[in-house]
Amino acid sequence: MSKVIVIDDEPFILMMIEDKLKKAKIDVITLRESRNAADVIRREKPDLVILDWMMPELSGIDLCRLLKKDPDMLNIPIFMLTAKGQDADEQLGLRCGVTRYITKPFSPKALLEMVQEVVGK
Amino acid sequence: MFKTKIIYRLIAVFLVFAIMVLVPFSFTIIKQVNNMIQEEEKFEKPRDDEYARMHQEFIPKLIDQMIPYAFYILVMAFFLAIFFLRNMLVSLRQLQKGSLALKDGNLDIRLEVTSDDELGDATKAFNEMAVALKEKTLELRQKDRYINAMLDPLWVVDEDNNIVDVNPAFTRFFGYRKEDIVGASVYDFFDEKNAGIMRKQLEDRRDLGISSTYEINILTKEGVQVPVLISGSPIYSDDRIIGKIGILKDFREQNDLRNELRRSKEYVETVMDSIEDQLIVIDKDFRIIKANKIAMMNARGAVIGEYCHAVAHEKTRPCWTEGRECPAQTVFMTGRNYRTTHQHAGVAGEKKFHEIVASPIKDATGNVLHVIELIRDVTDRIRHEEEIFNKNRELVALNSVAGLLSRSLRSDEIFAKVLDKMIEMMKMDGGGIFFLDETKKEMTCQYHRGISDEYVKIMGRVRMGEDIPGRVAVTGQIITTADISKDARIERSIMKHSGMKGYCCIPIRGKERIIGVFCLFSFRTHAFTTEEESILNSIGEMTGIALENIRLYEKMRKLYEYQRKRREEEQAQMLSLSTKLGSAIELRDVLGKVLDLIKNFFGADFVWLLVRDRDENLLLKASSSFVGAEDTVVYTRGISSVEGYSLEKRTPTVIQDIRTESKFYLAPELAGMAYQSAISVPMYIGDKPVGVYVLYYLGSREFKEEDLHFLRIIANVLTVSIERSDYYSKSIMEKVLSDSILQSVAEGIITVGTDARIISVNRAFEKMTGVQAAHAVGMPICDVLEFRDENIDFRISLGECLEMALQGSRAGKEGVLTSSAGIKIPMMISSAPILDADGKVQGAVNLLRDISREKEIDRMKTDIIRSVSHEFRTPLSAIVGMTEMILDGDVDETRSRKYLTTILSEGLRLSHMVSDLLSIARIESGMESMRYETIDMKGLLKEIEASFSSLIEKKKASLSYDIDGMPLFVGDTEKIKQLLMNLVDNGLMFSDQGCTIEIQLKKSDNIFEIRVSDSGWGIPEEDMGHLTERFFRGRHGEKIKGTGLGLSLCSEIVKMHGGSMEFKSRVGKGTEVILSFPCKEEK
Repeated sequence: MSKVIVIDDEPFILMMIEDKLKKAKIDVITLRESRNAADVIRREKPDLVILDWMMPELSGIDLCRLLKKDPDMLNIPIFMLTAKGQDADEQLGLRCGVTRYITKPFSPKALLEMVQEVVGK
Repeated sequence: MFKTKIIYRLIAVFLVFAIMVLVPFSFTIIKQVNNMIQEEEKFEKPRDDEYARMHQEFIPKLIDQMIPYAFYILVMAFFLAIFFLRNMLVSLRQLQKGSLALKDGNLDIRLEVTSDDELGDATKAFNEMAVALKEKTLELRQKDRYINAMLDPLWVVDEDNNIVDVNPAFTRFFGYRKEDIVGASVYDFFDEKNAGIMRKQLEDRRDLGISSTYEINILTKEGVQVPVLISGSPIYSDDRIIGKIGILKDFREQNDLRNELRRSKEYVETVMDSIEDQLIVIDKDFRIIKANKIAMMNARGAVIGEYCHAVAHEKTRPCWTEGRECPAQTVFMTGRNYRTTHQHAGVAGEKKFHEIVASPIKDATGNVLHVIELIRDVTDRIRHEEEIFNKNRELVALNSVAGLLSRSLRSDEIFAKVLDKMIEMMKMDGGGIFFLDETKKEMTCQYHRGISDEYVKIMGRVRMGEDIPGRVAVTGQIITTADISKDARIERSIMKHSGMKGYCCIPIRGKERIIGVFCLFSFRTHAFTTEEESILNSIGEMTGIALENIRLYEKMRKLYEYQRKRREEEQAQMLSLSTKLGSAIELRDVLGKVLDLIKNFFGADFVWLLVRDRDENLLLKASSSFVGAEDTVVYTRGISSVEGYSLEKRTPTVIQDIRTESKFYLAPELAGMAYQSAISVPMYIGDKPVGVYVLYYLGSREFKEEDLHFLRIIANVLTVSIERSDYYSKSIMEKVLSDSILQSVAEGIITVGTDARIISVNRAFEKMTGVQAAHAVGMPICDVLEFRDENIDFRISLGECLEMALQGSRAGKEGVLTSSAGIKIPMMISSAPILDADGKVQGAVNLLRDISREKEIDRMKTDIIRSVSHEFRTPLSAIVGMTEMILDGDVDETRSRKYLTTILSEGLRLSHMVSDLLSIARIESGMESMRYETIDMKGLLKEIEASFSSLIEKKKASLSYDIDGMPLFVGDTEKIKQLLMNLVDNGLMFSDQGCTIEIQLKKSDNIFEIRVSDSGWGIPEEDMGHLTERFFRGRHGEKIKGTGLGLSLCSEIVKMHGGSMEFKSRVGKGTEVILSFPCKEEK
């Protein structure tokens, strides 16, 4: 079973993604804080990380940079799910190694398809 | 009822009369006849005489009987007549009296109707008539009053144009008495010319029944012409014109105004015409609507109403080439003054350069209505610039040739270098040097450039006198031709069909003989000017001398040493002269020193320099020792002097003994000095004599050819300097105006030459950068901004723009300039090339425009869009995503309920944001009203604490407040609550776990103070200035969700209460917000 870690400070976003993915038989770990996320990811070795950009303490983009520095976690695909919709933001995200840049509001169905594309059915 | 008619009465009277007459008459006749019958019967047998007597008596008897009756009838008739007449007379008298009263103007008279006969009717009719007459008369009087009250004169004329009536205004205005002019012809009131106008109006227009208005001068009684505006119209009676009526309006004032207007217009035109430059005014269609005389004189055809581009360029549309844009178009577009130089065709079709200064004429709202162009003929200036440029170029070449010759002793090096220099200087394509072998009478090409070795083999050997080099070697005269292939003077030459066009051959002259020749050629035609020829000749001579020196080097070491020294001295002299003169714009300062140099070098006792003015007088410009003030006239025109002679002959003139030369007049300044010999060197630029300088010697002095030669070169240097200085002083004057415009422009302007060094900067530039103009001028443009390290990017941008401009195209870039005071200003750099008449780049203008304001607005706009879109996205995610999942059946019913709750709460969040935005907008637009009341601050704070309780608990934060003596605060409760909640929310949000929030309330000196402080992250320095800007999210905004509206709203609320808001913050320590409100009366 594939494993996805979702990090967002907005509980309802976590709830939505968890519900949608779990229904598609994908294991989901949700985190409301980015502070200890790196440790969790290192431990859990998920197939995909879905990240919010704007989070207190450690922003999504900083976390992404952190993951890409670590050889163990370098190859974990990252989805950036964010309200920052500007082109420049997207460019920055992609430069930091984000696999997909998804702007809010998003369609859970479409997100699921994208997740399945990455982690395999 | 029947009316009794007179006729009935008459019949009745008649009947009575008839009865009264006829009855007695009948009785009488009957009685008489009876008598006759009785008498006849008595005399049955009448006796003849009796009978006769009877018969005879019958008539008298009848008459006797008739008389009483007749009398009776008469009496009756008399009484009847009296009876009738009495009644009628009463009525008639009444009527007569009434008529008389009417005639006397008593319109109120009414007659008593005494009878109901015709006379009664007539009386009634009279009464009605009187009433009608009264009405009519009143109406007429009213009309009369109107006419009399008219201020404008009025006349009525009959069909023969004779005056029938005038109103009082007429008599008042013109001084005539009414009775004098009624009946007079209207033409009597005009002089001949105006009578003609009048006749035309009266006969042509009004006879046709047309009303007309026209202006005319009318004569008053005093014989003064008064301008009036007559509006005339015909008077009809039964479709027939029976006369005309005219209102004459006093037109003096209008006339005066018009005259005034015309005068002021004429004044403007006179002013325009008195301007020596062309001046035209152009409308939006580029048509010329106004032009002064000079502009008209300088055009080949009509000017007014024509298109300006048609007049100036004979083009069908305005100029559009970059750097040569139509000045009018530019001004219409920019609304600013614009200066440019255009090439136009003159009256005779000759090439003219015009400097155009176009300025807008604006209306009150700032729209450009017209463009006024001041066009100055700068052809001469540009020519002079060109001449000076050429002269300078030649002198530089000459200098370097002289340098080459004096530095080297190796002939091959000299010739190769001199040849290269000459090719470069004359812009030729190639050339060669032929040396003469006197024994073989043959010339061989030894050095060549730009031609192949094969070709040199063919034409590299020329016999003396043959072909051009051979001829030059024999004659020693320079030969030049603009196009050798077409030059008829050169019949045979190997070069004729070689493809060469411009060609010259210069003798290399040794001291006594020709050593060889220089040949230069160009594949283009090249017309050699006399100056070029003289320079080439000089080089030929210099080279020849140098060559001889080399040849004689071993044998004539001494001579060489002398030559070398001399060349060196000349070179040094030249260098010092050139440097001194070249760098000096204020010639006066250095000319004296230069003359001293000349004096020392040539060992003269006195040197002076005279310049020729426009009136051909020779004025003192400078002298080695003081003999008079500058610009004093030394020789007036026509006086024969050494100076004038040499200037006229255009050649240096040597006078061996001035004391014996009686034909020359010696200036009194020198007369007492006993000078013996002199050399006078004329100074020319092109064909224009500039002046002359003279070296005077107390003893006699020999002048060698080389001295003369050097003196000539010095003359050239001096000429250029004087001319340039003259030109500079002129152009400085001309530039004062344009400079003042440049200086007043808000944009920073930097002008640079082709070497990217600054020529000028304006005041705005000084202000922007803090660099003074005096410091900047002469510096490479990029170095001028070196004062701050931060400017490196800006300098690069500026450099790139400038590079483009120097290549001839315009360029623009944005950059941030840091002034010397450290202020960062966003700038728009625009660079444009300065082109000369031939389109060659002469430099560039760089414009620095402060775009802080645009940037700021731009940033705020982007922030608003970004924040709105961004902040709306998160709640929208819940609404969109969750709805989709519910609809897709992804969640069961209990979950759906939770989802719907979230959708609701996120929807509410969205709605809060929208209402926050709207609140700000409402407050800003002044639509929000205040509801002042006394606020229970303690209660309010408790309420706030309660609403944050869950967040405080989650953050493990503490909120404390200190109410100093429980002050009462007057304000709008809702708004103050919103304000405090926003501040507390900020304190909680922008801080770590366990933070503390403190609220202090204090009242002192009529100031009510609220302090909200936290122990949070603090606000970074760079964010401090922007806190109350709408949608501004500081550095911490990345971590915390928000709208960027909170403090903006707070600021608006504080403003509404007449208070102020101040922030104190240190990163890592916390933030304190201090709100101060003026105390209000308690309500």
